[in-house]
Amino acid sequence: MALKGLKGSELTFHIALYALCAVIFVIILYPLYFIVIASFSDSTLVSTGKVLFFPKGTSLFGYKEIFQDSRVWTGYRNTLFYTLFGTLVNMLFTMPAAYVLSRKEFKARRPIMFLFVVTMFFNGGLIPTYLLMKDLHITNTFWVFILPFCVNIFYLIIARTFFETALPAELYEAAVMDGCSHFMYFAKVALPLSKALISVIGLYYLVGHWNDFFTGLIYIRDNNLQPLQIVLRDILLSNQVFQNGAGTGGGAASGGYAQRYADQIKYGVIIVSSLPILMLYPFLQKYFEKGVMIGSVKG
Amino acid sequence: MRLLGGGLRALRRDYQLWIMIAPAIAVVLIFNYIPMYGIQLAFKDFDFTKGLTGGAWRGIDYFKQFMDSYLFTDLMRNTFLISLATIIVGFPAPIILALILNQIRRKRFKNVMQTTVYLPHFISIIVLVGMMNVLMSPETGVVGHLMKGLGLGHINLIASTNTFIPVYVLSDIWQHCGWNSIIYLAALSTVDPQLYDSAKIDGASRMKMIRYVDLPALVPTIIILFILSMGNILSTGFEKIFLMQNALNLPVSEVIATYVYKIGIVSNQFSYASAIGLFNTLINFVFLFAMNAASKKMSNTSLY
Amino acid sequence: MRKKVVGMITVMLAATTIMSACSSNSNSGGNNGGSNAGSNPTADSSAGSGGNSGKKVKLTAIMTKHALTKPLKDMEWLQQVEEKAGVEIDWQEITADWDQKKGTLLASGDVPDLFIGPNVITDADMAQFQGLFQDLSGMLDQLPNVQAMFDAKPETKIIAEQQDGKIYGLPKYQRYWPSTATRQYINQKWLDNLGLQMPTNWDELYDVLVAFKEKDANGNGDPNDEIPMDWPGGIGGYFNPAYMLGGEGITLTDGSPQGYFVEDGVVKNYLVDDRYKQLVVFLNKLYKAGLINPEVFTHDYTKYQSVARGEGDTAKVGFTMGWVASDRFGEQLAPQYTSMSPLKATPDSNVSWSYDYNSLNYGVNQLVVSAKSKNKDAVMRFINELYAPDMGMQVLFGSLGPNIKDNGDGSYSVLPPADSKMDPGTWKWTSTMADNGAFYIPDSLQLTLGKDMQEVLEQSKPIDAIQIDVDNDVFPTFLKYSSADNSTMGLNNTNVTNLANTNFAKWVTKGGVEEEWDSYVKESEKAGLKQNLEIMQKYYDEYKKQ
Repeated sequence: MALKGLKGSELTFHIALYALCAVIFVIILYPLYFIVIASFSDSTLVSTGKVLFFPKGTSLFGYKEIFQDSRVWTGYRNTLFYTLFGTLVNMLFTMPAAYVLSRKEFKARRPIMFLFVVTMFFNGGLIPTYLLMKDLHITNTFWVFILPFCVNIFYLIIARTFFETALPAELYEAAVMDGCSHFMYFAKVALPLSKALISVIGLYYLVGHWNDFFTGLIYIRDNNLQPLQIVLRDILLSNQVFQNGAGTGGGAASGGYAQRYADQIKYGVIIVSSLPILMLYPFLQKYFEKGVMIGSVKG
Repeated sequence: MRLLGGGLRALRRDYQLWIMIAPAIAVVLIFNYIPMYGIQLAFKDFDFTKGLTGGAWRGIDYFKQFMDSYLFTDLMRNTFLISLATIIVGFPAPIILALILNQIRRKRFKNVMQTTVYLPHFISIIVLVGMMNVLMSPETGVVGHLMKGLGLGHINLIASTNTFIPVYVLSDIWQHCGWNSIIYLAALSTVDPQLYDSAKIDGASRMKMIRYVDLPALVPTIIILFILSMGNILSTGFEKIFLMQNALNLPVSEVIATYVYKIGIVSNQFSYASAIGLFNTLINFVFLFAMNAASKKMSNTSLY
Repeated sequence: MRKKVVGMITVMLAATTIMSACSSNSNSGGNNGGSNAGSNPTADSSAGSGGNSGKKVKLTAIMTKHALTKPLKDMEWLQQVEEKAGVEIDWQEITADWDQKKGTLLASGDVPDLFIGPNVITDADMAQFQGLFQDLSGMLDQLPNVQAMFDAKPETKIIAEQQDGKIYGLPKYQRYWPSTATRQYINQKWLDNLGLQMPTNWDELYDVLVAFKEKDANGNGDPNDEIPMDWPGGIGGYFNPAYMLGGEGITLTDGSPQGYFVEDGVVKNYLVDDRYKQLVVFLNKLYKAGLINPEVFTHDYTKYQSVARGEGDTAKVGFTMGWVASDRFGEQLAPQYTSMSPLKATPDSNVSWSYDYNSLNYGVNQLVVSAKSKNKDAVMRFINELYAPDMGMQVLFGSLGPNIKDNGDGSYSVLPPADSKMDPGTWKWTSTMADNGAFYIPDSLQLTLGKDMQEVLEQSKPIDAIQIDVDNDVFPTFLKYSSADNSTMGLNNTNVTNLANTNFAKWVTKGGVEEEWDSYVKESEKAGLKQNLEIMQKYYDEYKKQ
């Protein structure tokens, strides 16, 4: 085995490392496993704690209900478009700005940075923002998912910090000697060296778009424009509706079928909504491999 | 005159940089700054017939109302405690996780680990809290069984004022630790492999390499993220706390965000809610400002 | 050229419409009557007489429907209503997060022509967003069917009118619902198994619950799996032990979720009433003896329901509250349970219950019209058709044909679900707007209800047998308050219920009510309870004077 021939201290380290990983693995995985088996199991058994390690009363009821809902498919299509197009716009706006803010010789960088940071804290509130969107005529259009707030200051700061620390100053000096402009240096040197960063920020934006339900909730009226998360949230919140329904009396007569419907769907929704984005991660992972960046410089 | 000339020269030199940052400035000005007139609402009555900010001037009445309100001290204490606990325990967790993952040499195993730890991030809060209720039920949940097995007895983890914060923070770590470690993993990927090689030749142990090679590579990211998280000291998440609340843990689980929601829902208290929001923001901003200044002095790293 | 001619004709048509209905139009004229006739002549052209000119008026509307409800465009009866009114409505169907959406929509003034839903726009909204909603009080001549409801059921007009006589929201009249939402159930089979009598007061209940706990009441061989008593948690509202305050002579209104009730014309709050203290002491005694589900304050609704469904034939819960047995315990276990008569606190105390008839049968603000609507005539036609006497039952139970049978002799019957796996309640909510709609069901209508409603009414009998003084002991929940009073009361109630919930849970599980009671009462009053009672008494007295 690989452990053979390791020195004593190295061996202890290895054992400790793998033991630790195993613990983390189990703690993280069990609840996830629970969601999967719960999505196949009878919801009454789930909520009374009868389902612990194996599915019980298995049925595909929840999934059938989810996929029968035509809104789910429209939602998928919309979300896919908003996510891909939105992330593209995000990157086009964020990366050049982050690069600029990382240049020490750029005199305006501190006031501009301050201008940006302020917006992380102060905002005018929902209503003035809504009115602005309305005046710009982007409510109830797909643009409202793409354009507003397409520069996330938090990610901008991360990207700037990365450019500052990971790009050696000598590199730029050498490039300038070769007659390289900022445009060229950014496109030909900085970006190719920042694959890890691009994948992280890209992933952040992607997931942000994928999980965004608030934009749809506030700005979209047309059901054909609603993203997946709104559709799923509607399905999901129906469970809560029963409680409130009970409060308004009439809803109390909703009956057991409806209750079961809501409960079993709850777990299925999670799987349906997050599976595509989960499958993305392994593809991006290779960019986090050690030495990708510096290695390429040397190569 | 000379100043202007200097400015022009700088502009000529930096015009490409200006072009690159102009789009970002434009969207921030339009979407973030234009609506900021709404902040006035915190100082005025909301009067629909007179337009959004046309109501009578109230000065700091709404701030006073909040500070004099009967729950004020409880809200402040709860909010501070919850976010402080989140920062103290929750902030280092992804760093440690990234360092651990970075030590795994077997690629297959590392990939599986990384993908696994990042999965919980995608669970919606409604389901997370629902699942916690099922798993932590003292009678029927798996955690309940486990605690009985370990002889810890019947503690209703979701109902006690003592366990609310630990349960909140730990479940938060469970959910977001893997996701938050991504940024650190990316930073670790920039470490020059030669550094490891030379450290090996010097006979450094793995622990020493973590201490002297990996950690320094993370420091700038850590500092920046820490400053930013201090700027969120009064911004606890809303939805999760709201869903985790029950009559028994309410004394420790009522925070500013949930209170604002509750008063907002009974009648549209736009002005009062804005005032509380602004109050929150100001305190956050002070914290961020102080942290940034301290960091600038000590490590020469700063946000702006 | 042709366009111009059509335009001319439509303008002329529009002019005649305006003349024929000038009394009503002059009312809305202040805001945008001008644009009404001018900018949208085509729209008004069909206003002639029920849309026989062919061209339909396009309207926008928001409906806050139940999550189960199918798309509105699939409802046959709604198509008929739109057809008859000559309108085509672009429905925005909302099933979740309405409160979040609403604030933004209203404050920005970006509203559709029409809102439908249970209290979809509250009185507080109407007071705050002056000028945004259409006053319908002067347009009733365009709404003969609504006027008919007001005439036949004058109380519907009372609850619709603001203090100044304006009507911004139309109510519904549902007619068939019982006078209380909460019924108490006890497992009759367990009583029989253990040879016990039906309890009639608190002490007897205690003894019965102890027996449930200590013995193997459900007979499955395990004496420890019985939960003697359970409720959804918290204090106040439907299906809650606050209902037991009836045993001390307190008549709740709508379950009194925030504690307010009326006794002999005085507005009070049980949260600071000594009788409530007695109840807490009693519940604490039950809890200490292990007779209450230990998860009562933490379980969610799903679990609460699931537990009571038991396992197969084995029931788990002895005494609890709910809407109807088949919903609370499932079809299989429901026959084991009996609906109880309200319990007395002591053998000689007065007994009462929670009077919920008004809120179950008269929903307020079920339909609201925007004052900015450009096609008010069309909106009025739609509303009038919606409130037609034969339409009400279809709004509530579903379309004639799939959901309701016409017996041919002028009477109708609600049909059982087409899908036999479904229960009638779910079927109703799936098929139509149901309770969330706006409608009027005349008392003269002959309709045989479905199995579920018959069961509810049957199980309400033990409660209805006890008389209460509706005039002096029931709080009129539909009182209209001024904007300022509304927000004061809202803030105070947030604080008061916060305090009450926390302490109630603590006292029931850990005890200590006797020692802490006085300081708690003082604190509640300081948190705004006293102020609220004064406000409510003032409005109540004014209402009584009328």
